[in-house]
Amino acid sequence: MAGQLAVDASSSPETPAVGSPPVLVAKGVGVGYGGVRAVDDVSISISKGEVVGIIGPNGAGKSSLLGALGGQVKRTQGVITLGDRDISSLMPHDRARLGLVRTFQTTSEFARMTVYENLVTAAEGDRGASLRSVVLHPRQTAQRELELRARAWSIMERFEMTHTADLYGRELSGGQRRLVEIMRCLMRHPRVLLLDEPMVGVAPHLTGKLIDDLRGIAQEGLGILIVEHALEVVRKLCDRVVVMAFGKVIAAGEFEEVVRDPVVQAAYLS
Amino acid sequence: MLAQLISSAADGVVVAAILAVAAMGFTLQFSLTNVLNLSFGAVMTIGGFTAYLANLAGLNAWLGLVLGAVAGAVATVLLGRGVLRLYARRHTQLFEMMMVTLGMSLVIDYGIQAISQNAIYGYTVLQAAPIRLGPIDVTPIQVAIIGMAVVLLVAVEAGLHLTKLGKALRATAVEPSLARSCGIQTGRVVLITWVVSGALCGLAGVVYIISTQSVDYTTGELFLPLVIAAAILGGVGSLRGAVAASLVMGLVTEIVAGFGGAAYSTVAGFAILVVVLLLRPGAVFGGAEDRQLVL
Amino acid sequence: MGAWAFYITTLLVYFAVDVLSAFSLNLQFGYAGVVNFGFIVFQAAGAYAAAVVVLGPSGGVASFQQYVFGARLPFPLDLLVAAAAGALLSFVVGLFALRRMRRDYQAAVLLIVSLIALQVVSADVPLFNGSNGLTGVTWPFGEFFGATATGQPWLYLIYSLVICAVVCGGVWWLSRSPWGRSLRAMRDHEDAASAMGLNITSLRLQVFVLGGAVAGLSGGLLVEYIGAWSPGAWGYAETFVIFTAIFVGGVGNYRGVMIGTLLVPIIFLEIPRFLPAIGYPGLTDSLEWVVVGLAWMLCLLFRPRGILPERRLRAPRAEGVALDPAPAEGGA
Repeated sequence: MAGQLAVDASSSPETPAVGSPPVLVAKGVGVGYGGVRAVDDVSISISKGEVVGIIGPNGAGKSSLLGALGGQVKRTQGVITLGDRDISSLMPHDRARLGLVRTFQTTSEFARMTVYENLVTAAEGDRGASLRSVVLHPRQTAQRELELRARAWSIMERFEMTHTADLYGRELSGGQRRLVEIMRCLMRHPRVLLLDEPMVGVAPHLTGKLIDDLRGIAQEGLGILIVEHALEVVRKLCDRVVVMAFGKVIAAGEFEEVVRDPVVQAAYLS
Repeated sequence: MLAQLISSAADGVVVAAILAVAAMGFTLQFSLTNVLNLSFGAVMTIGGFTAYLANLAGLNAWLGLVLGAVAGAVATVLLGRGVLRLYARRHTQLFEMMMVTLGMSLVIDYGIQAISQNAIYGYTVLQAAPIRLGPIDVTPIQVAIIGMAVVLLVAVEAGLHLTKLGKALRATAVEPSLARSCGIQTGRVVLITWVVSGALCGLAGVVYIISTQSVDYTTGELFLPLVIAAAILGGVGSLRGAVAASLVMGLVTEIVAGFGGAAYSTVAGFAILVVVLLLRPGAVFGGAEDRQLVL
Repeated sequence: MGAWAFYITTLLVYFAVDVLSAFSLNLQFGYAGVVNFGFIVFQAAGAYAAAVVVLGPSGGVASFQQYVFGARLPFPLDLLVAAAAGALLSFVVGLFALRRMRRDYQAAVLLIVSLIALQVVSADVPLFNGSNGLTGVTWPFGEFFGATATGQPWLYLIYSLVICAVVCGGVWWLSRSPWGRSLRAMRDHEDAASAMGLNITSLRLQVFVLGGAVAGLSGGLLVEYIGAWSPGAWGYAETFVIFTAIFVGGVGNYRGVMIGTLLVPIIFLEIPRFLPAIGYPGLTDSLEWVVVGLAWMLCLLFRPRGILPERRLRAPRAEGVALDPAPAEGGA
């Protein structure tokens, strides 16, 4: 896990990235609500196989940053590129179709659909489920359903969730809902995964397994950006860490150095 | 041409005054409770019919105005305290609350239809010879209606900003749980809001039928689209915004009507809302996603 | 044909029309979560459209009824025009009413559309003869069978049942398709659905327009049977009869919706005919609406899951997957 420093706060000079080229790059991203700047000139990049954590006190703009990357929140400035494509002004579903998927801070499972349906629907979120293909190409649609069926079952098996296949989203425990969200993302063959506090609601004795799972996913070549409060999780999971406060990046680097940074400690204490 | 325009604009100000009274009531209760109250039009009809009955009983027309306001307040309190509370206790969501108010509207409207034998009743009170001011014909009662709207705006604004209760109301509208933990009796604040907004609603109903000179069970329902559109356009929760939007709506509807499009005058008012929706949805609906029910 | 047979036939034609409406609304509301409080307007659009294309060229102001675009089109063009009218109006309304906003605002905007459309059509006489409405609408096979639809009720019943079955079958099939599943995802969590690549704007407009087409078709079918159409037939309250039918039958379950349709608009609204008349004429009609309003409120209060609730679709097993490998979840 090369802990290259590919994050640059606007104050610090840009550090050249080593290793594989970054897959998601955000440059100078800003988000404003009314007069408040929730995210101010933040630059960040994620490479394949890398897990990057975002930490910071409440109201630091972490979730807003994730929203700007995913397209749920309107960015007021900056450029976001996925691979070599500028996605700054694309709608969320277009970003998803290009391989950028995310989970939400409050769990977002489809409550009145079974876990199996949650998974299969996620994978179809493109032309496969369009009215045109359903009506005009029934055979391809049926074929695709078969492929998705196999994929859904293999993902459920991997996360040991096959026994929940027929349960509705609303019948699941908090931890299971988090897993459904992550499995749903994986159905889409993502290039980058944005996770917003995936450990909330997960029973303590299961966090270890989820950490291992996420590391395993990253090793298959995904970039993962994760917002997390529990520093212990961040320490175990992330290759490097970005610290935000008041909408800005105040520090970045490996976990152990970052938490010793007096600036970071001051931000957390204030 | 110009004379027609000026004359229509004058009519528009009168309509705006009626609309403003209703829109103030609507926005007041909506900003506090967050329930989009679709029975507002039905309560307007109740106010109108009360004034009609008062007149029938030989009471003074101005007293009819007061009684209409009282009826509106009583009806609104009964609906808000009685019916909506019942649903709130069963954890009805904000969205379902709106459906409940729609059911109340059906019951009231058609209840009135049943009682009124589905007939249209003339209501010609306080009519006097118009005064001519250049191209403008204006009756004394129209002047009185405009004056009343202005006075009510000032009074409610003053009540909101100068009295302790008004401050409590604004605090509750912004952050109900915080207000509660600061010792504000939100239940009382809500009750008083129902009373005030209901009175405005009933009053608007009476003023409306004075202006149209007739009342039937659809009276309020025909006016409701403009009220909701004005309240939404004015930025929900802002009294001054509601009044300004009412002015725009009133002018547009009457000018369109004045130039021969009587059938389309309400559409023209609604079209403004549609245009705003299309061009700047955020301006109208921004930040309203996470509101909670306050009853 | 006896009076009873005619009465039953008429009810069954109404049933076919109401089932079409309820399926359309269930697709929009039960599956896609679009609260179409202006539903009846789209049915009315289809009814007016079908009326003017079978009434023949308008006689203009001199005639006893005025309307725009008079024509005499043969089957199936009349019903296609009705469906197209519903779809087109849905598209136009959908462009502004389906903008991303709170659901209660959206419902209110659609209700306003319903109220305003009624005002306009009532007041604008040259459009569809104002509040008097259009009469003398016939069904397109009159020249073959030499009679109006009401003169040949059995034939019309078969005709409408066939159309109803075909269209409702299509709606049901689409709901079960991957497209229908996407609608349910959108209904359950809009943000998550769009983050999974579903184009919410387009999906919502699609279901709105498709539902509008079915609503328009149902209007066309209805007007050709009863022969007349006026603003009195599509007050905003009519929409809530269909909503109530869906609630009673079971949101999201088409079989339940059919039962609800049989119970609410047919049986329930027909009962007063068999009760002794009370008060002045028209009183029972008013009271009926009061009861619909109360039923609607009771539905919301007790939140019944309906006679047949939405059914859980069991996941098809993939080959080679062991069933239930994990016995119990550790309480995650």
